Amino acid sequence: MKYTAKKIVLMLVTMILVSFLTYTAFELVSGDPAQAMLGTEATPARLAALREELGLNRPFLIRYFSWLGGLFTGNLGVSFSYKLPVWQLIAPKIEVTLWLCLISFILITVISLPLGIWSYRRSGKIWDFMHTAFNQLCMAIPPFFIGILLSWGFGIVLRVFTPGNLPDLHAHFFDAIRYLFFAAVCLAIPRSAMTVRMMRSTVIGEMEQAYVRTAISRGNDRRAVLTRHVLKNSLVPVVTFLGQTMAELIGGSIVVEQVFGIPGLGRFLVASISNRDYPVVQAIVVILAFWVVLTGTAADLVNQRIDPRLRLEGKR
Amino acid sequence: MLEIKDLHVKFHNRDREAVSGVSLTIEDGEILGLVGESGSGKTVTAMSIAGLLPRKQCRTSGEVLFEGYNLLTADRKILRSLQGKKIGVVFQEPMSAMDPLMRVGEQVGECLRIHTDLTKEERRERVLKSLEEVDLPDPESVYTKYPHELSGGMLQRAMIAAAIVIRPSLLLLDEPTTALDVTIQAQILELLKRLNKDLGISMLFISHNLNVVRKICRRVAVMQRGELVETGSTEQVFFHPEHPYTKHLIESIPTRDKRKENA
Ligand SMILES: Nc1ncnc2c1ncn2[C@@H]1O[C@H](COP(=O)(O)OP(=O)(O)OP(=O)(O)O)[C@@H](O)[C@H]1O
Ligand SMILES: [Mg+2]
Repeated sequence: MKYTAKKIVLMLVTMILVSFLTYTAFELVSGDPAQAMLGTEATPARLAALREELGLNRPFLIRYFSWLGGLFTGNLGVSFSYKLPVWQLIAPKIEVTLWLCLISFILITVISLPLGIWSYRRSGKIWDFMHTAFNQLCMAIPPFFIGILLSWGFGIVLRVFTPGNLPDLHAHFFDAIRYLFFAAVCLAIPRSAMTVRMMRSTVIGEMEQAYVRTAISRGNDRRAVLTRHVLKNSLVPVVTFLGQTMAELIGGSIVVEQVFGIPGLGRFLVASISNRDYPVVQAIVVILAFWVVLTGTAADLVNQRIDPRLRLEGKR
Repeated sequence: MLEIKDLHVKFHNRDREAVSGVSLTIEDGEILGLVGESGSGKTVTAMSIAGLLPRKQCRTSGEVLFEGYNLLTADRKILRSLQGKKIGVVFQEPMSAMDPLMRVGEQVGECLRIHTDLTKEERRERVLKSLEEVDLPDPESVYTKYPHELSGGMLQRAMIAAAIVIRPSLLLLDEPTTALDVTIQAQILELLKRLNKDLGISMLFISHNLNVVRKICRRVAVMQRGELVETGSTEQVFFHPEHPYTKHLIESIPTRDKRKENA
């Protein structure tokens, strides 16, 4: 368990570093929040009062740590544009985006792992060609295009959901999930194609390893060689890839949220950037960075469970 | 026990045959040495016995007769029923020949899992016994270790244990000691000799080092560029080599003094 603790400590340190950099960067670009909130007409006295109220007169490091603490207590300051607490604004959006990414991730996993193995088993000139062609096609179609097709087909023609009107996640959970499902499919298609391709090449590579010959020499049939030896050995790069996928899904969700009219984090981020709503942008940027660090660590921890050699990296 | 008749193996991506016209017999209970320089076709010969040649990538002719089957053309099912059960293989690099993600005990017991109906508990007993037979200290702990946690010598012992756990009648040893240092090499040779005597397992011992072969084989075959150039008793081949290539091989053996100089 020592290695797990080590990874987690490393993750926390990275998070603090990332948050510090983000905070500093925003401190530099965002100028005076009091000015931004009150506008250029404000009297110096009111500005000073607001600065005092927002705690802007405190030293930089103190402000940073109180903001960092706020990340965990949900006190992230007040939005310039909405005059509402940032956390109150973004919390429901985080929820929506998380569901979107989660569904998408599950789709990617359940589609691409069996398909990756299947595509490995089908080798030969024609299969290789078909596989590559289909794969390229899936990777080349931009998610927004699939999104437009799906929301037209299922939303407008078949009326499975009403585009632009995401049902409330708490009141109508299954309706909301059904709505998000179609958006998740758009996100999942190109990524699944990539995962299948990498899975296939990993398995092919593992098949060349010497331990495969040993396994055959003991009388294992093709299937046993694959299931008992090769698949597990192929898993580490695949898990790493899936970890990156989980991180990148958030980025991809920005576009898909636009197409499907989903009030998620990505869409809100874009809007806040154009409004120069720095407290909101800052909070979202930090949360996204945390997400990347978190998924990377999760993938590492899973891989350490799979491969005992990764557990002693530090010892060597 | 095993008879190879005029074996030819040609890989599609090579111009020259990897093995061309090798005929050999392995007698019951003997350790036959197979020597030759790198690329002479020793491994390919062993792989054609073990049914490990990639059939799609090469063309074979001749016969490898074992228990009434021609292993070159035998049905895959029949081949699998012999692999591991009747014919065990020990490879040169124990570290890469082991599955890095499977516990050593499970790998050693793999032949039992495939070829017998023993329960997990019974298999474990047999594996521990086998680990003991190859002189591994503390079999219980070796059982639960992963390959990277053992030294090269211990791993090679574990590989041998895996091959003999089910008592095959033929053991193919492809340079089993090359990756090991001299003391461990000597211990493994002793171990093989003992297994040969106690369990009556016939062996094909491949090496590029005649000196090593001389320690455990009564009979030796010499290969060069895919062909068998000389077969005979070890003493005869060693002291009265007929073929110039064999002479060359013997001359190139580092003598004790030379080895000391190098060290
Ligand atoms: N899978 C393969 N595809 C193509 N050529 C091969 C393959 N395996 C072996 N060969 C060729 O067959 C020839 C004999 O190789 P082999 O491995 O039997 O030599 P060896 O005597 O075992 O040598 P070493 O002492 O280096 O292990 C070599 O020329 C090698 O390049
Ligand atoms: Mg070889």
